[in-house]
Parts: sequence; C-alpha cells; structure tokens
Amino acid sequence: MPTFPYGKAAFSFVILALVSGLFVTLHRVEPRKTTLTMWTFADTHYESYRKALPAFEAAHPGVTVKVEHVNIQAVTSRLQAAFHANLNVPDVVEVEIGSAGSFFRGPLEHVGFLDLTDRIKKSGLWERMVQSRFATYTMQGHIFGLPHDVHPVVLACRRDLLEKAGIDINSIETWDDFIKAARKVTIPGKQYMLELSDSGTDNLEVMLFQRGGGYFDPEGRCIFDNEIGLQTMLFYVPLVAGKDKIGSTLGSNQILTQAVEQGYMLCLFAPDWRTKSMERDIPRMSGNMALMPLPAVSKGGIRTSTWGGTMLGIAKKTTHPDLAWELAQYLYLNTADLANRFKDTNIIPPLKEAWNEPAFKEPRPYWSNQPLGAVYAKLAPQVPPQYSSPYVVTAKAKFGEALVSCVQYYNANGANGFEDYARKRIKQSADEVRRLVARNPYHKPQGSEN
Amino acid sequence: MREASFHRLQHRYAPYLFVSPFIILFSVFGVYPIFKSLLLSLYITNGPSDHVFVGLGNFKFLLGDPDFHTAVKNTVIFALCSVFLQLPLSLGLAILLSQKWLKGREFFRLAFFAPQLVGQAFVAVLFGVLFVPKFGIVNQALAAVFGMPDDTKWLQNPSLVMPALVFTSLWMYVGFNMIYFLAALQGVDTELYEAAKVDGANSWQQFLAVTVPGIRPVAVFVLVTATIGSFQLFELPYILLNNSAGPNKSGLTLVMYLFQTGFVSGDLGYASAVGWTLAIGVLVISLFQMRITGAWKGDNA
Repeated sequence: MPTFPYGKAAFSFVILALVSGLFVTLHRVEPRKTTLTMWTFADTHYESYRKALPAFEAAHPGVTVKVEHVNIQAVTSRLQAAFHANLNVPDVVEVEIGSAGSFFRGPLEHVGFLDLTDRIKKSGLWERMVQSRFATYTMQGHIFGLPHDVHPVVLACRRDLLEKAGIDINSIETWDDFIKAARKVTIPGKQYMLELSDSGTDNLEVMLFQRGGGYFDPEGRCIFDNEIGLQTMLFYVPLVAGKDKIGSTLGSNQILTQAVEQGYMLCLFAPDWRTKSMERDIPRMSGNMALMPLPAVSKGGIRTSTWGGTMLGIAKKTTHPDLAWELAQYLYLNTADLANRFKDTNIIPPLKEAWNEPAFKEPRPYWSNQPLGAVYAKLAPQVPPQYSSPYVVTAKAKFGEALVSCVQYYNANGANGFEDYARKRIKQSADEVRRLVARNPYHKPQGSEN
Repeated sequence: MREASFHRLQHRYAPYLFVSPFIILFSVFGVYPIFKSLLLSLYITNGPSDHVFVGLGNFKFLLGDPDFHTAVKNTVIFALCSVFLQLPLSLGLAILLSQKWLKGREFFRLAFFAPQLVGQAFVAVLFGVLFVPKFGIVNQALAAVFGMPDDTKWLQNPSLVMPALVFTSLWMYVGFNMIYFLAALQGVDTELYEAAKVDGANSWQQFLAVTVPGIRPVAVFVLVTATIGSFQLFELPYILLNNSAGPNKSGLTLVMYLFQTGFVSGDLGYASAVGWTLAIGVLVISLFQMRITGAWKGDNA
C-alpha cells in the first residue's frame, strides 16, 4: 500500500483541511433573520440613525438593520468596486453629492442603484419634498436617490464685532451693500469681512449656484463657461485678489475656531450642516453669532444658494427592495424623528411638512436667539438645483484651475483686460471637460454632437 | 511494482504540490492583474461589464491630456528634488553622524530616523497643521526669525505647494536614507583612508577617492529606490492637500492621477494606460540610472 511520503502527521493535516473545507462549503448557515445593511459616511447621521432604528426594528419583527459608518472616500470607492465586481453591496447607502454623479458613468441599465422614480412619484414625495434636490440624483429622467437634505446657505456672522463697527446685518440686502460694509471693517492681513478661498471652488460655486449657474445643464452639457459662469468669476475674483479684497481663508477645524474667535473672519458661508460644526468647534462664540440670508445679486433676487448634500440609494442587488424602501421612508419621512435629528444636526430635511414641527421654530441662544430652523426653512424652497454628471468632480477641479489663473492675473494686472482673460481661461477649462465627456461612449449629453 | 511507481510519482510531483499555493496565489494576485491591466488599457471602461475597445486610443489621449502633463511635471520635479536634495543631505548627515568625536551621535541617528517610524499619513496630517497660515508653527517661526508675513498659504498657493511637499518629504526620508549610507560608510576599509593620507590626499580627495567608490553599490541602490519611491508618491500629497490635487493641480502626482481616473472618474482602462506609462517610465529611468552609475559592472567597477 502506498504511504504518504511526509509522514502521518502531514497526511492528517491534509485530510483535516479537506474535510473541514468541504464541511464549511456544503453547510452554509443561512441567516434566519432578514438583515438590512446600511452605510452612512457622516458621523452625525450615524448617531441619529442608531437612535431611530430600534423603533423600526420593533415595528418589523425579524428584521435587523445594521448601520455602518464608512469613510466618505471609501463609500465611493468600495461601492463602485462592489457594483463593478457584482459583489455584496449594502442594501441602503448614503452617498455624498459630489460623488453621486460618478455612479452614473455607464449605461443607464448598469447603474447600481434601484430606479426610485415610480416609488417617488406614486408616494407623492415628488410634491412633498423640495424638488430641486432630486436634480443631482437624476440621470436621463430617472431618479436614483432620495435627498437627505436641502442645505440652504446663509452667512454666519460675528454679530458683536459687526455691531461694534456700526454694521447692521439686517440692513444688508445685496452683495453691493455687503461689499460697501466690508470696506469699513476689512484690514488686510488682520481682519476680513468674509471667508473666501482664492484657490478652491467651495465658495465660488455657492455664488455660481445663487446666480442660477452650474457646472452642467439638465441635459448633461458642461456650461460653467456661459455668461453666468463668467459674471460669477468677474464678481468673485476682486473679492479675493488685488488691493481691495475683502475675503481670505485659513483652513478648517481648529484653525477656523481661532480665526473666528480672534475676529480674523467676520462672516462665513454657512449651509445648515456647518452651523452645527460651528456650535461644536467654536463654543465660546455662543451669543455673539448671528445668521443672515445671503445678500442678493440684485434687489429682490434669491437670498440663498446651496453647499453639499447627501442622497440615500437602494442597491439594485438588494434582495429586499420593498423593505429597504420602507426603511428609507422611515428615516427620511418620519417628521417627529426628523425634528429630533434636526436638533442633533441642524440639517433641514427636504420634506416640507417637517418644517412645521416646533423644533424648527425654537430660538437658539448660540445664534443670538434666532430661530435657526425657521431661517433656513424660509429659504429652502428657493435652493437652486445642481444637475448631475459623472464629470462634476472634474468640472469643479477645472473651474478651480480657472479661478487660480484668474486670481494670479488679477493680482498682476488688476482689472485691465481681466474680462477677456477670464472668458478665455474659463472656456479653456470647460473645453477640457468637454473633451473628457466626449470620450465616454455611454454618456452623450442630450443634444450634443459629440 | 505498482507501489514503487506510485511512490516515484509522489516524489516527483510532491515538490510541485507544495509550491503550488504560492504559484496559484502569485498567478491570481500578481500575474493575472498585470496582464488584465494591460488588456484594460486598450479599452474605455465602466467596470468589467461595460467596455469599448479603443486600441491605443487611451495612450494617444494621454499624450494630449493636460492633467497627465501636469502630473508628469510635478512628479519629475519631486523626483529631482529627492535625488538632488535628499540624497546629498542623507549622505552628509551620515558622514557627520559617523564621526567618532560627535557626542550623542546615537541619539541623533535615532532622532533623524524617527520620522520614518510614523508613516506618511501621520506626517501629512502633522504638516497639514504646521503649514496653516497665520496660526501654524512654520509661518509663526518664519515671521519671528525672518520677519516674513504670517499668512503665507503654503498649501493653498500653487507655487508653494511643491516646496511644502519637498520639505515634508525631506523631513521624513533624509533620516531613512541616512541609515543606508551609515551602514555603507561602516563597510569602507579604514586602511584605505590611511593609505590615502600617506599619499597626501586631503579630506575632499579622500572622500572622492575612497568614500564614494566604497559606498557606490549602496548609493546606487538608494538612488534607484528613492527615484522609484518618488514616482510612486501618493499618500503624502493626497492627505496633505485634503484628498485633492491642490490648487491648480500643483500637488497632482502620477499615482494620484491614476487613482483619480480609476477610482473617482471610474475609467479603469484609462487608469491602466496611465499605470503602464508610469511603469515603463520608471523602468527606463532606473535602467538609465544603473547604467550611468556603473551598477552593472559589479565588483570590478
């Protein structure tokens, strides 16, 4: 009889490995309970969902919801990889607005999220929510995400310092009024009226959206070099460049805390989510801060814009689409929970009827007793849409490159020839985006000749 | 008879059986991805299910892609700084810390090597705070010592991003490469220095005639690995610049561009083309470096 050449011990290990491997393969234990897995990237969302989920589980015996806190970059990369490789994906996932478009790069039928259009229209959510918030999560007329928020933008101001300087924020109506006031208080290198970046697009795009502009139109064409984009750039650059600039930036977190406390920045763009960060990171300014609607471009114009956002998507691959939709509705439509979540996060939900909850009308001592919820809710219906494209991140970067070049030009030459330069530079950036879009065989903007 | 032949077969094939786990794993996770990425580079893709064959179209597009040009330029500048600043500093430091008259040299060796222990992500976060305008230590020190303005935007001004990156990488890697040079210096025969002294060589001549040839194999190794490392730069700028390429893409490196095209834009085909171009570029540069430094001449060099 043949013997195993490396002894009985090695033979036993080989047999043991084979038997245990076979056992594990053939006896897969099927979970007895239904488990929904949900990913969220925001710690504030994670905490509030953990509080809200026991009630959902109690109402659905046998159902467990596993909510996981996943890093914002990892949500995009892991989810894309899972969609592409047809691996296990979470049933429900929250995706940040900036990366939502990247999931719509391929053909419509290969989008990894469930098409929610019919569910949204049939349930009346289309009318009950702020409609502009669906724009980013829509591809060729199909809605793939439920908006988590509205994120109107106002200005958060050091009320105490502005009052000391004789500036009444309630009297400021337009950007011209604001700039006039800014000239009084700006001391170059020591104090600036507004936090504005001369190299990043976060603040610039707030102004672009306020003017009705954007990176892409509803048909997916790159449009940031249109007249609105140009006028925004012409308005913005002198605020951050040249001898008369009124804005500067330092950074975020601890640095922002010092900058605000020491009066280096008197006003900041404040979408609702940012007010919670300020309350948490700059607690000593409680009672000294106040909110004001964005100054309008011209009298009677829109007094807000938008910054940031999150969508909730349901993976097409989920085996429980109806249950996942129930969960989505439970988290996003339960007005009592939304009110509690607003207290935790300051985030205005897109569900208009929720704004009637008392929590949204409560005065906030931090904000000089202003009713924070009501301030944002009043502006929420005016929030402009941001249209979706897989190339939003690229367009944002290219618009930022144009900004940096324009700032350099303005610092060197002032207003002399600036308009012509800006027009050419923005067009160059937009053409680079169009060149990329034209390569994508699955993404042909409607009406495009590419 | 049958038993003997079975036994012979076992002896013949058993080694293959035992190396098979490595071969299988290496083939699945090493060889297959390499060939798959080569294949992918010929397609425009949206995941494995959607791909359109474009032949060399990705490589052709690459040649006219301004972002790729920016990434190449930034990476080459960084690599040049690594070679021409980092290596001489490492060597100088190694020579200094190998001097027996220097007190506390063990402490300094550890101190200069220590940044390597914490990793690029930590260093990037640390320097992100140090470079902050107005309140950051770098600006405050420059203002106190040289009277410079304290609101210099190291990471927001496109022309200052690369110096900030180079400075950060010097802090991290000078001590690391110093260790290699220290080891090489200890291997140089001290009798050669004595012979050179007898022949009337001064310190500089001793350095050129004894030290440099003595440490050349190690120096070539450090040069090649530092260059390859520079071309693979990713975490440091990515975290330092807050998950972006920095203003005007001033911190965009080739690997960052590869990551962005593959995992942000989702075109794995184009990312593969970038990856292959990078790999071929690094190979050519490394071969060139080894040739001009005479690394292939071995001990006779």
